[in-house]
Amino acid sequence: MDRGLYVAMTGAKQIMQAQAVNNHNIANSNTVGFRADAVAFTSQPIYGAGFPTRVNAVAGNAGIDFTSGVLETTSQPLDIAVNGKGFIAVQGADGKEAYTRAGDLRVTESGAVTTVAGQPVLSETGPLNIPPSTQVTIGNDGTISVVPLGSPPDAQSQVDRIKLVNPPTADLQKGDDGLLRLKSGVKAPTDETVTVTSGVLESSNVNAAQSLVNMIELQRLYEFQIKSINSADTDEQSAERMMLTS
Amino acid sequence: MNLALWAAKTGLDAQNTQMAVISNNLANSNTTGFKADRAAFQDLMYQNVQQVGAQSTQNTQYSTGLSLGTGVKIAATEKNFSQGSVLQTGGTLDLSITGQGFFQITMPDGTLAYTRDGSFSMDQTGNVVTATGYPLSPAITIPVGSQSVTVGSDGTVSVTAPGATKATTVGQVQLANFINVQGLQPTGNNLLVESGSSGSPQVGAPGLNGLGTLQQGSLETSNVNTVTELVNMITCQRAYEMNSKAISTTDQMLQYLTTNLS
Repeated sequence: MDRGLYVAMTGAKQIMQAQAVNNHNIANSNTVGFRADAVAFTSQPIYGAGFPTRVNAVAGNAGIDFTSGVLETTSQPLDIAVNGKGFIAVQGADGKEAYTRAGDLRVTESGAVTTVAGQPVLSETGPLNIPPSTQVTIGNDGTISVVPLGSPPDAQSQVDRIKLVNPPTADLQKGDDGLLRLKSGVKAPTDETVTVTSGVLESSNVNAAQSLVNMIELQRLYEFQIKSINSADTDEQSAERMMLTS
Repeated sequence: MNLALWAAKTGLDAQNTQMAVISNNLANSNTTGFKADRAAFQDLMYQNVQQVGAQSTQNTQYSTGLSLGTGVKIAATEKNFSQGSVLQTGGTLDLSITGQGFFQITMPDGTLAYTRDGSFSMDQTGNVVTATGYPLSPAITIPVGSQSVTVGSDGTVSVTAPGATKATTVGQVQLANFINVQGLQPTGNNLLVESGSSGSPQVGAPGLNGLGTLQQGSLETSNVNTVTELVNMITCQRAYEMNSKAISTTDQMLQYLTTNLS
């Protein structure tokens, strides 16, 4: 059996995985703060007895697209968008610090500030908590001020500050929960230059046109691979026929 | 199963739910005191096919990994509690709240529900009730034959009896507020009920402790912004189409496979 068959099969399998990544991006074209995943293929020569003439294609994450999404004005005080570069620090389910661009925050009954997914938002010292209050304002530098319950509207009191970071994007990777973490596993330091805008949400940065073109390209590439499998099969059949006539 | 198909399928599901939320908002664009809902999308978990930094051989590591996302879900719907516009109706028992707070309504089972809909009326015994007939809490009864009913901005309800020159106070409207208003659970009929995540109600007279003030003769309209909803609808429709296209493309790929390799 010609081993080219297996090279083509691997190609088809990897392309289908790339299509899954692309479909995941499309599915998240309306997810607040979502960053599109990019996928690329690398050549993986097969070493063994003889020369490494077969080269498999292996799909891998080619990083994350960190361009900014479109800003949507919602006028909700707990909706924030990071201006330009930077991330909001949250606590993942594993208790460790992680980063996100999704700024649709909320306050739980116990006063904890969390994301929609329920991950606590972090300050420099730990999870952010606010006292019972009638009004919450988030400033440009992430400072949260509230009007405590039972106080007149002018009794603003500063509570805490959301931890905003700006690590090099090349060092970030997505976890199973979709949150970003530093590859080295350490915490990123607070960056004073990162600012947020309240009352605005950043949409997904999935580019519809690009995703659709990728989809078509992957479809055709997939067909090439299947064609190669088909050709390998035809070749094999011809060889068999030759053996029969002789 | 094919992940590419299922990731796109979750996209269809989520857009479908989003469309239901938009339709409900638009349907309630004229409902007194209605607060618009918003669907919050969230990406589903990722499957790690190949861990980045794993050993490719004893001495080398994979410089890239492959994690496949599995789609999207609607994590929550949240209400937008911003103030709706105030419509002057002139009705005696039409009350609107300017600022925060909810009217407290006694449900038939004795529990309390909360609403921003201040279109009250009187039942046959003079109790102030909602359009559905549920009484306001604390209960206020307007004496029979009262000439005029006045509700002050602080919630004081006073009436003038026939022949009397001075008004007498018959009750006080109280408002309730919550730490996490987003946590209130909508039950229909313009009513919301307390839930585990809303916290307990903080009751007080209008105008005190950050509660809003009352305006007699006006109603708070729905805060649905129809333009926003229509733009959301377009985005939603296009996203739905893209997901549908992703499914049909993946299907064509699999079809190509089965027709060419059989």
